[in-house]
Amino acid sequence: MPPLRELERRFAAALLDGDERAVVCDIEPDAPGASARLAVYRHHVLASLTAALASTFPVVRRLVDPRFFGWLADRYLHAHPPTSPCLFELGHDFADFVAAFPACAGLPWLPDVARLEWAMNQALHADDIDALDAASLAALTPSGIGALVVRLHPSVTLLASRWPVDAIWRANRDGAVEAGAVGLDSGGVRLEIRRSGDDVVLRALPHGTFALRVALAGHSPLEAAFEAALAADPLLDVTAEMRALLDERLLVRPLASSC
Amino acid sequence: MPATGCGIGLRAPHVAELVERRPAVGWLEVHAENYMGGGPAIRTLLALRHDYPISLHGVGLSLGSPDDGNDRHLERLARLVERVEPVLISEHLAWSVADGRYLNHLLPLPYTPEALALLIDRIARVQDRLGRRLLVENPSGYLRFRESPIPEAEFLDELARRTGCGLLCDVNNIYVTCANLGGSAEQWLDALTPSAVAEIHLAGHVVNDADGTRLLIDDHGSAVTDDVWRLYERALGRFGAVPTLVEWDTELPALDVLLAEADKAQRRLAAANADAAAA
Repeated sequence: MPPLRELERRFAAALLDGDERAVVCDIEPDAPGASARLAVYRHHVLASLTAALASTFPVVRRLVDPRFFGWLADRYLHAHPPTSPCLFELGHDFADFVAAFPACAGLPWLPDVARLEWAMNQALHADDIDALDAASLAALTPSGIGALVVRLHPSVTLLASRWPVDAIWRANRDGAVEAGAVGLDSGGVRLEIRRSGDDVVLRALPHGTFALRVALAGHSPLEAAFEAALAADPLLDVTAEMRALLDERLLVRPLASSC
Repeated sequence: MPATGCGIGLRAPHVAELVERRPAVGWLEVHAENYMGGGPAIRTLLALRHDYPISLHGVGLSLGSPDDGNDRHLERLARLVERVEPVLISEHLAWSVADGRYLNHLLPLPYTPEALALLIDRIARVQDRLGRRLLVENPSGYLRFRESPIPEAEFLDELARRTGCGLLCDVNNIYVTCANLGGSAEQWLDALTPSAVAEIHLAGHVVNDADGTRLLIDDHGSAVTDDVWRLYERALGRFGAVPTLVEWDTELPALDVLLAEADKAQRRLAAANADAAAA
């Protein structure tokens, strides 16, 4: 038998890559046989990980139907096996995988629905970080506010889509009441997904507000973020926008390296 | 608040009802990995810990992995332990990570001197970092490695002797393993040093037919079977009234069904206490 590290590597290959040749010789061939016994483990690995993906992406699953989702999940898990034992972290690149998956090419809005569901998962599980208040923000800026880099709370995702993904999501979520058909040509959306208390909040943002928050999320200094926001909406009241960010408790202390 | 009597494994669909009703149950056990983020999950757990002793049951440390890539996970567990201050902390005699790929399953180890040395080292490091005694649980087995000379119960007993860790004796897993791999569940139990056993798990299993051969699958999806209750009574006779947990993960029933199952264990624990007092 090989050293333990090699044995486990071969065992993992038998479960994830379907290559049993290197490990069956180290397993007792008791009936029903080494292969059937390995299959018990393989089934649990794939079923439990597929269930975890389904709980993070319930609307994607509903949109493609559960059997197709099972195949999609199987392909995804083989290409991107999980790296974290925390299952709420599984699926961070699922939307990109869906976008590149040939069998999903006929559903061009599906990747953005997956991005929306991932953002909701992030909103629910992001670390708790204290928000800045006006006084602590002022204390951070002794030499003028323009060069300051703040961060948005990690629960926040800003998602722009050329598809009405919020309407698609609302019409297909669990317990959705029967609604009229979603007009796919009804135009794009700029969405913010975040945690508020214990709830996940999804809302559409005006262009200027969205541009400001995208710039801040991209670690732009405040002055550059204001410029980007005003380019999107020249009439934007940036003072009111900053007050709203403080009131919504979405600004957090910058990382030491970005000061 | 020590963990005494019978507790239940707390699963997400039961949380709201449990918070609302605060039923009488000895303690709660949660999977540590579900509480390593922020938001409502950890907030609720930190509120519940004022009313119930909490046990953190890890499924992701991969104690049986020679890879040292799990230090980050140990740090996350350590931070969670600091916040929750659990009365019990447990993990498994298993591995789940290879080459950085996490398989989300408690995968089997060959019980060799090499694996024993590895486990002793890993458990000692975990206990050093946490500053706490770790309980180590026996897994459900579905295959035997050709080279696995140390009987499972002896392997666990040696871990406890060498590291000071406690044992989490999963009675259902013993039953499943012995049915699938051969051997006597009673002898398995009798091989453990009673003082090392600090927790017992109970759960249901399902019978599966694989190419005409009967395999038991530890799916935590049904009531505890009569055979497992009998084995549990034997365990209480040997180990005393050890804190016991009823787990139910798939086909999750109403909270009351789970609480009724915990009551069955509680009655047996009370009888074991009475026997000990009379002796």
